[in-house]
Amino acid sequence: MQEIWRALVQAVNLIISLDTEVVQISLRSLYISASSIIIAALFCVPIGSLIHFHDFRGKRVVINVIQTFYSLPTVVVGLLVFLFISRSGPLGGLELLFTPAAIIIGQVILIMPMLTGMTIGALRGVDKTIRDTALSSGAGTAQAIRAILFEARFAVVGVLILGFGRAISEVGAALMLGGNIRGYTRVLTTAISLETQRGDLVLSLALGIILIGIAMVVSVIMNILLQRY
Amino acid sequence: MAFLQTVDLEQRAGAAVLLNRVNLAVERGEIFTVIGPTGAGKTTLLRLINLLDRPSAGDIYFDGEKITGSSGDVVQVRRRMAMVFQKPAVFNSTVYENVAYPLKVRGYHEKTDRTRVYGLLDTIGLGGYAKRKAKTLSGGEAQRVALARAVVSKPDLLLLDEPTANLDPGTVKMIERLVMDFNRERGLTVIMSTHDMQQAQRVAGRVGVLMNGRLVQVGRPGDVFFSPGNARIAGFVGMRNLLKGHIVHSKSGIVVVDVDGRDIEAVSDLPAGAAVEIFIRPEDVVLSKLTSDSSARNDLRCIIRSLSSNGPLCTVIVDCGFPLEVLITDRSAVELELSQGQEMYASFKASAVRVLPSMQG
Amino acid sequence: MKTLLINRIRRISIPIVITCLLLGAILAGCAPAAPQPAATENASDQVTAFPIIPGTPRFKIATTTSLYDTGLWNYLEPMFEKKAGVKLDIVYAGTGVALEYGRRGDVDAVVVHDPAAEAKFIADGYGINKRSFAFNHFLIAGPAADPAGIKDLTPEQAFKKIYDAGMLDPDKVKFISRGDNSGTHSKEKLIWQAAGLKYEDVQKSGPWYIEAGKGMGPCLLMASEQGSYILADISTFLAFKSKVNVAPLVEKGDLFLNVYDVIEINPEKVKTAKMLPTAKAFTNWLMSDEVQDLIAGYGVAEYGRPLFNPLKGGGCAEAGCPKLEDYTVPVQ
Repeated sequence: MQEIWRALVQAVNLIISLDTEVVQISLRSLYISASSIIIAALFCVPIGSLIHFHDFRGKRVVINVIQTFYSLPTVVVGLLVFLFISRSGPLGGLELLFTPAAIIIGQVILIMPMLTGMTIGALRGVDKTIRDTALSSGAGTAQAIRAILFEARFAVVGVLILGFGRAISEVGAALMLGGNIRGYTRVLTTAISLETQRGDLVLSLALGIILIGIAMVVSVIMNILLQRY
Repeated sequence: MAFLQTVDLEQRAGAAVLLNRVNLAVERGEIFTVIGPTGAGKTTLLRLINLLDRPSAGDIYFDGEKITGSSGDVVQVRRRMAMVFQKPAVFNSTVYENVAYPLKVRGYHEKTDRTRVYGLLDTIGLGGYAKRKAKTLSGGEAQRVALARAVVSKPDLLLLDEPTANLDPGTVKMIERLVMDFNRERGLTVIMSTHDMQQAQRVAGRVGVLMNGRLVQVGRPGDVFFSPGNARIAGFVGMRNLLKGHIVHSKSGIVVVDVDGRDIEAVSDLPAGAAVEIFIRPEDVVLSKLTSDSSARNDLRCIIRSLSSNGPLCTVIVDCGFPLEVLITDRSAVELELSQGQEMYASFKASAVRVLPSMQG
Repeated sequence: MKTLLINRIRRISIPIVITCLLLGAILAGCAPAAPQPAATENASDQVTAFPIIPGTPRFKIATTTSLYDTGLWNYLEPMFEKKAGVKLDIVYAGTGVALEYGRRGDVDAVVVHDPAAEAKFIADGYGINKRSFAFNHFLIAGPAADPAGIKDLTPEQAFKKIYDAGMLDPDKVKFISRGDNSGTHSKEKLIWQAAGLKYEDVQKSGPWYIEAGKGMGPCLLMASEQGSYILADISTFLAFKSKVNVAPLVEKGDLFLNVYDVIEINPEKVKTAKMLPTAKAFTNWLMSDEVQDLIAGYGVAEYGRPLFNPLKGGGCAEAGCPKLEDYTVPVQ
């Protein structure tokens, strides 16, 4: 119990003193996970919208399969991607292993099912009449999809925040694909795992608190921006 | 060919037949209402016309061109129409953005947008509402916004699906007036569905009766109202007192119909022996304490079974050997000192009795 | 009328600004790093870089968790980066996984401490130019009360006693094994063998033998919690001493010798291994006076004694120590 209090104190100290290494690690976490969510969203929101908007045979099966992959174990993703991007793997020539890009790839794969499936869920929450209204107002398919996405914007942003949260808080793939290299691929979660392994529980907790803090700040900012609209 | 014409239009959902060989012809510039009970297929029909759904069979022609089938650009056709739905549907943005949406998707210029939109907002009585969030509007206000949104792009055809269902009478009147104004001032062809016969009478040039997916009668409101094609239509348009009987005597257009042992005189060309259904409008029956010496050919002794007052009118159920529903003013009820169990005379003219051949099966 | 336009601009500009910032950040990450040697502070490294457009060449090595946890690399890394003008990336894992990285060519050199595994690695052709650069010892630690009575025995004797006592009373006497094919684990197996026991038998013999499958530090913590015996390397033991409740019980024995070796990955066998010249420079540098002196003093201030011993000047004088050429002859 004492550890939690000490961790809080240390977290505050690290933040106030702008400890260089912690700042670097935090920015890296933020940068990598933000890239992951942006890249994943660029694919998943349109794909999810198209799946939702069109009716086709096997639609339900597709959605079920997507939902099954919500809980992909991170180590499994890490392992599979590792096998691909290892120098002796098919994509070895790209020299991706043990780089931030590798972590981004792993995180993108991890959150894509969730992002797609929950975008569909968010759009389902929009009244069907909106679709009809858009279409009968003369909208084309793309315009109608945009209108529905706009109606669902709160839910969609919620999905993005969730995806970001999952990306920034996962450790298995980040460790396996990034290697936790100091000054290059060390992020908050892998740093926490290292410090735990080293027995410095207080520092681990402190980093954990900082991680939660970052996630909170991102969520708050997203919501403020949304309110403006 | 009419401005909007459907040819043998059919819509099925699994085993159920929603629309059955519907042949609708709406002329340019008219207001055509489609009336029918809930579930008759009105919404289905309008959605097909608006190309929101595909028909199982049949075709639709709009302004001379076939719009069903895979040929042609669905979006371009839809841009010549507009639809207002039963449930007021507004986007989660400002009133201005809602009304301007059809212009936005067509890529119109912002300057022309603004004048048109603000002008329309004034017309529908929501002049200062441009910046309001549309979700905060009442049902009636939202539906007006939906109407403005429908006409802002100057469509050739306006479709309305029970637009005033669940709205307060003031808004109902306003929307009806707006629809009629738009029709008159812009030559906008209107197809409107409703289950309210009175609304059809107020608004429509012509009426089509849709029942169980079939278009059973088309004509001017008065025709349908007063000369319903069959008993079911009659029941729908508010005819009460449907009685079964057969003609026992016919001479020069006057027949005597035997209904449960009592004789009723009516006007009809049907021959003696024909099985018929007759109906009498409740407001055509007059009650009096004594035999009436008016020109009414039907004068029956009855006993009052029940009285119920609704507003300024009073509905009286009498038993003349068969049940008869009578509608009189509250005042008359008071003057006649009506009470349950009382004996009265119910009289009505022969011309007030509609006679139709019996619907077999 | 004007307000509407301003609103529109405001509404569009915020997402544009954000998108630009994010895109800018991603693209900045793409910009190649300046090719001059990195400024010595690790903290001033650029936050990230995308490897598809490589900047400074990156030299990757794999090392073992126990060596990594001591923090020695935090000192060695910037020194080498400055000297060689490359970025040194160090990944850590158990010996088995580290060697696997080597076999796959994902790293260009490995630094491990498992003679048997290393011999096989080299015999299979994956590794070349093995050199040694440091050594220390293992020890057996356990509860201060020493229920099995092993204090000051030889390693083999101590293990036998723990086995017997543990079979008799598993609640009183327990042993925690790394159980993860690490260097420490390999050493443990050797000691069991020397004690006259077959390892498979020991593994299945009873609840007194616990396979933790964790790193050295977490295992020490576990031993502390459960009052178990454990085989640990002196460096991790000292680093964790203040956090755990285990006492050093057996510290002397030939079998306890723990030598740290560096092996380069053979580009003939592993086609994807790169940077052999850098690997050679790295090997030679580890044997250099600069590094040997650093190793001699590492940990003294904090723990009162060095965590490692340099090989320079014949520091290792017991049986099993590497031959002179193994720690002095530079790689060509």
